[in-house]
Amino acid sequence: MSHEDTIPLHHSSQSDIDEIENLFIAGPHSATVLPARPPSPTRVSIPVSHSSPPLPPYQKVTPSSSPPPVVPAVPAAPSGSSRVGVAADAFGSSPDTLTEPVWDTVKRDLTRIVSNLKLVVFPNPFREDPGRALRDWDLWGPFFFIIFLGLTLSWSASVKKSEVFAVAFAILAAGAVILTLNVLLLGGHIIFFQSLSLLGYCLFPLDVGALICMLIGNAIVRIVVVSITLAWSSWAAYPFMSAAVNPRRKALALYPVFLMYISVGFFIIAID
Amino acid sequence: MEEGYTSLPTSHLLGSVPAVVAEGKISSTVGQASTGNLQPFPPYDGGYNAPGSPISAQQTTTNWQGIFSISSYTQYFNVDSDVVIDRMISSIYPMNGFDRKIDGNPDLYGPVWISATLIFMLAALGNVGTYLKQKGVDPSTTWIFDVSYINWAACIIFGYALAVPAAFYFLLHYFGHSASLIRLWCMWGYSLFVFLPTCLLLVVPMAVFQWIITILSGAVSSWFVTLNLKAYAQASDMMVLLVSAMVLQFALALFIKIFFFA
Repeated sequence: MSHEDTIPLHHSSQSDIDEIENLFIAGPHSATVLPARPPSPTRVSIPVSHSSPPLPPYQKVTPSSSPPPVVPAVPAAPSGSSRVGVAADAFGSSPDTLTEPVWDTVKRDLTRIVSNLKLVVFPNPFREDPGRALRDWDLWGPFFFIIFLGLTLSWSASVKKSEVFAVAFAILAAGAVILTLNVLLLGGHIIFFQSLSLLGYCLFPLDVGALICMLIGNAIVRIVVVSITLAWSSWAAYPFMSAAVNPRRKALALYPVFLMYISVGFFIIAID
Repeated sequence: MEEGYTSLPTSHLLGSVPAVVAEGKISSTVGQASTGNLQPFPPYDGGYNAPGSPISAQQTTTNWQGIFSISSYTQYFNVDSDVVIDRMISSIYPMNGFDRKIDGNPDLYGPVWISATLIFMLAALGNVGTYLKQKGVDPSTTWIFDVSYINWAACIIFGYALAVPAAFYFLLHYFGHSASLIRLWCMWGYSLFVFLPTCLLLVVPMAVFQWIITILSGAVSSWFVTLNLKAYAQASDMMVLLVSAMVLQFALALFIKIFFFA
C-alpha cells in the first residue's frame, strides 16, 4: 500500500512521528506485558462465565498463551450488563477439561445455555447482530427445548400420546434444518449450526407457553397465552432471519419461520 | 472473526509501527476518516441474483458431486417476494399468462412452501371442520385433535406435488416432447395455491356450500394445469394427458373435501 492510500489519522496531521505518538495515546491500555500466571491445576476456570466486555478491534487477546492471561477491563466499559460469552470463548485454549469433575462440565454447559438464552430471547444490546452475539453456539439448548416441547405436548394429549411426541419432534427438528436450508437457498449468508442453535433457542417462549397451557385448562386463557408466546418467539427470531437475506427476500425467509411457529402454537392450543 | 488476526495488539510496543493491514481499520476507528476505499468482504449480497438475470456458470452443476452442494440449487430459489406473490395471484387468474412468467426462471420456493402451508391448513382446519360438523349433529361432542391428519396431509400433498409432475415429465418424454421437470414441478406447485382459501371456506359446516367450493376450486386448479400443459400438447395424442391431468386435480379437490372435512 503506497503512502497516498493511507488515510491520515487526524486531519491536522503533523508528521509521521507525531502520528505514531498519537497512536500510542489512543492505543490500548494493556500496554505492559502481563506477568505470567502460575498454573493452578486445582481451580478450573469456566471460560464462558468470564464477563469480559467486547474489546475494541485492535485489542484482542492473543490466541497463543496458555493459560490465557486475564484481560484487564477497559475502564469505560459499563458493568452489569448481560454481555456474557461474547468474546470470552472465541480465543485461547480452554484449560484441561479431561480431568475436571463431571459436575463442572455439566455446569459449564448449563451456564452456556443460560447465557445464550439471554442473548437470543431476552432484550439485550446484541439483538441487532445476533450472529455475532451467538458466536458461542451450542446444540444442547435446542435439543432440550425441542424434547421438552414434545414431552409437554404428548403429556397434555388425551389420545395417541406417542404419535404426538413423534410428530412434534419431527416437525421441530426437521423444521429447523429446512428453515436454515431455505435461507441458504435464497442466497442468504448464515452459518448452518449457528442458525439451528438460534432457531432452537427461539422455541423457549413456546416451551413456557406449552407448560402454562398444560396446567391451565381454560380455552380462552390458552389462546391468549399462546398468542403472547408466539409473538415473543417471532420477535426473537425476526432480526436474525431478516438480517441474513437480501431485503427484497425478507418476507420469503420469514414466512416459513412464522408458519412453523404458528403451527406449533396451534398444536399447543389444539391438543387437549 | 477476521478482525482478530489483523489487529493483534502490536502497535503498543515501543518503536513499532502499526501493521499495514490494520491501517485502514485503525484509521477508521480513530479518526472516522473517509472509508471510500474500504470494501466489505464478502460482498454484501454475494449470493443474490436479480430474478431476471442469467445464472452465472459457476453455480450450475457440472459434475455429479454438485448434487450435494447447496449452491447448485440456489438457481431454483432465485425469486423475490413480489415475484412469488405475483405468481400466486396469476395462479388464481389463469388468463394471466403464468406460462410466460415462469419462463426462464421457474422457482421451487413457491411449490415447497405452498405445499407446506397446505399441509398445516389441512391438518388444523380439517380437525376444526370435522369437529364443527359433528357438533352440529351431536352437541355433546368433545374436541379431539387427531394427529394422524398431519401425517396423511404431508404424505398426500408432498407425494402429489412430487410424483404427478414427475410422471408427466416421463410421459411427455416418452411421447417425444421436451419438457423441463423443474417447470412442471413449479407449475403443479402453484396449482395447489387455490386450495389454501378453499380450506378456509370448507370449515363452514354447510354441505351444499362445501360442495360448491370444492367443485369451484377443482375447476380453477384443473383449468390452470390444462392451460399450462397445452403448450406441450399440440398434437392430438396429447389430449389423453390433458384430460388425465384435469381428472387428477379434480380428484385431489374431492379427496381434500371427503377425507379431511368429513
